[in-house]
Amino acid sequence: MKKLVSKLGLVALALVLVMTLFTGCQQAEEKKELVIFSWADYVPSDIIDEFEEQYGVTVTYNYFTNPDEALQKLASVDGGEYDIVINSDYTIDIARKEGLLMELDKSKIPNYEKLNPAYLSQFYDPDNLYTVPYVPGTPLIIYDPSKVDIEITGYNSLWDESLKDSIVLLDYDRVMIGLVLKSMGYSLNETDPDILAQAEEKLLALKPNVRALNMDTPYETMLSGEATVGLMFGSQVAWVYGERPDFKVVYPEEGMGFGIDCAFIPKNAPHPDVAHEFLNFICDPEISARISMNENVMAINCNLESEPYLSEEYLSNPALFIPTEMLGEKEFIEDIGAEASEMYAEIWNRFKQA
Amino acid sequence: MEKKRHISLSVWPLYIWTVLFVALPLVYVVVISFLQRGDTWGVTDQVTIDNYVKMVDPMYGSIFLETLAMAVLTTALTFLFGYPFAYYVCKLPARLRGVMILLLMAPFWINSLCRLNGWMILLKSNGVINSLLLNLGIIDEPLKLLYNFGAVVVGMVYALAPFMILSCYNSIEKMDWSVVEAARDLGASAWKAFVTVTLPLTMPGVVAGCVLVFVPSMGLFFISDLMGGAKTVLIGNLIRTELTAARNWPFGAALSMVMLLATVGIIWVYKRVSGSKSLGDLM
Repeated sequence: MKKLVSKLGLVALALVLVMTLFTGCQQAEEKKELVIFSWADYVPSDIIDEFEEQYGVTVTYNYFTNPDEALQKLASVDGGEYDIVINSDYTIDIARKEGLLMELDKSKIPNYEKLNPAYLSQFYDPDNLYTVPYVPGTPLIIYDPSKVDIEITGYNSLWDESLKDSIVLLDYDRVMIGLVLKSMGYSLNETDPDILAQAEEKLLALKPNVRALNMDTPYETMLSGEATVGLMFGSQVAWVYGERPDFKVVYPEEGMGFGIDCAFIPKNAPHPDVAHEFLNFICDPEISARISMNENVMAINCNLESEPYLSEEYLSNPALFIPTEMLGEKEFIEDIGAEASEMYAEIWNRFKQA
Repeated sequence: MEKKRHISLSVWPLYIWTVLFVALPLVYVVVISFLQRGDTWGVTDQVTIDNYVKMVDPMYGSIFLETLAMAVLTTALTFLFGYPFAYYVCKLPARLRGVMILLLMAPFWINSLCRLNGWMILLKSNGVINSLLLNLGIIDEPLKLLYNFGAVVVGMVYALAPFMILSCYNSIEKMDWSVVEAARDLGASAWKAFVTVTLPLTMPGVVAGCVLVFVPSMGLFFISDLMGGAKTVLIGNLIRTELTAARNWPFGAALSMVMLLATVGIIWVYKRVSGSKSLGDLM
C-alpha cells in the first residue's frame, strides 16, 4: 500500500512538472523576455514593473554581490544568458578586452543623446560603443562640524591631530591607498613600489585617527555618533546627509576618485532587441531621475534633461547633486594587474594590523 | 553476504556526499594553493610554492599569533564564565534546568549577525549603555565601548560561550555525585573536593568545550569586522579578503590549508588528552 501511494505521488509530481513546463513555453511565445544581471535592487522594482507593463516584457532579475564574480560568470557563459548587465567600470574594461560586449545600435536608443557627456567616453569605453552610464559615484568626505574643530577641505585634513580616533574609512585598499596617493599628488593607479612605500608610511600615520573601517555600513558608524568624520562612497554620504543636513560634505580639493557603474548588452544576449528598449527606457529623463532618487541607488544623475524631475531634497543634497564643473579631472580606479594588486593588499593588511 | 551488501548500499549516499562536498572541494583547495594567481582573477596553470613561502613574512606571522592569542583568550574566558554557569544549572531542580538550557539555546534561533547588531546597539556611542550612564550623570562624554579589542573579545565570548556551557553541562550532569560526597565524608574541603574530584571527572567536557570554542574562534571574521571596526586582522578576515577583494585565490587557499592543519593539530591534541577514539564524543 505504502509503495502504491508513493508511486502515485511520483506520477502526480511528474504530471505537475510537465504541466508547468508547457505553461512556461506558452508564456514565452506570448510575452517578450529580458534577463537583467546586477546587484540586488540596483534597478528599482517600480522601474522594472513600469517597463514590463509598457513594453509587455517579462523581466527576470538575477543578482550578484561581487562584481568580479559576476564578470567570471559572464565569461563562463560566453556573454550569453543575460540581456542587460550592470556592473562596475573596471569589470567592463576587462569584459571589453575579453570581447564579451555587444556593440550598441544607437538608432534604437534615441534617448542616448540626453546623457551628460561628462560621464561618457571613459577608459572602459573610449568611443562609446558599448555602454550606457547608469550610476556614477565618487568617494566624498562628510563630517559633523559641531564636533570637529577644524575645517576639512580635502584628504590631507584627515591627518590632523585633533581628529584622533574619530574617522570612519572604507575597508577597501584601492580607494584608501588611492586617496593617500592622491593626497601626495600621485595617480590613484600608481604601481611604482617606491611610491607605494611612501604612501604606506603616510597611510600608517593615519591609523591613530581611525575609529573604524567599514565598507558596507559606514553611514551607521557616522549616524550612531561613533565617528565624527567619514570618508565613504557618494551614495553613503548622501544617505548620511539625508539624515543629518547639519553635517558638511567635502569635495576633496586634491581631486576626486571616480567610478561609473554602466549597463551593457553581453555579446550573445538572447534578447538584444528588448535590451535596447530597456536601455532607451532607463535613459528617459524622468525614469533616470527616479532611478537616481531611489533609496537603494541614491546617486549622481547623468542625464542632461532630468533636472526638472529631481526633487528639492535631491537637488539640495551636495553628495547627490554635484555640479559638473566641480568634478574636475576624473580619475578612475583601474585594473592594475596581479602584482600591484598584491602590493596594495599587503599594504592594507599591514595598515589594519598596525 | 546479502546483509553486508545491503549495508554498503545504504552507506553509498554518505560516500557520495563526502566525496562530492568534502573530499573534492578539499582537493580543489589544495591544488589551487600551489598555483599562481591569474592576472585578473582565478589561477594560471603554473605550479609554485610561493603562496606558502609568502607566509613567512612577519606580518602574516603576527596575524597568526594574534589569531591564536584571540582564540586562547576566548577559550579561557568562556571556560571561566561557562563552567560555573554549567555547574549551577546542574544544581537546579530538573524542571528549571530544562528552562535554563532552553534559554541558552534560544538565541541560536536568531541569526548571529542580528545578535551582534544587538550588541552594537548596546555599546554604540548613542546606544543603550551610554545613554543610561549619561542620563544618570555618571559620565559626561559617551564612552568609546565599540571598535576596540575588548569589544571583539566580548563578541567572541558571547557567540561561543553556549558551546562551552553545553559541553561542560553534559559532563557535570552525568557525573556521579556520590564520589564527591565520599570525598567530603573523608574530610576534603568543598574546594579540595572540587579540584581533586569534580574537575578531573568533568575534564572530558571541559576539553571538548575548549575544542568547540577554540576552533571556530579562529574563523569568525565578522565579529572582528563588526565589533572591532575591522581594525584587527584575524586569519579568518585575511582569508576572506584574499578570496574576495584581493582576488588572490591561491594565497587564500594556502592560508586555508594552514588553518586546516592547525585545526587538525588541535583535534589531534584533543584526542591525545581525552583518550577519546571518536570525534563524536565532542558533542
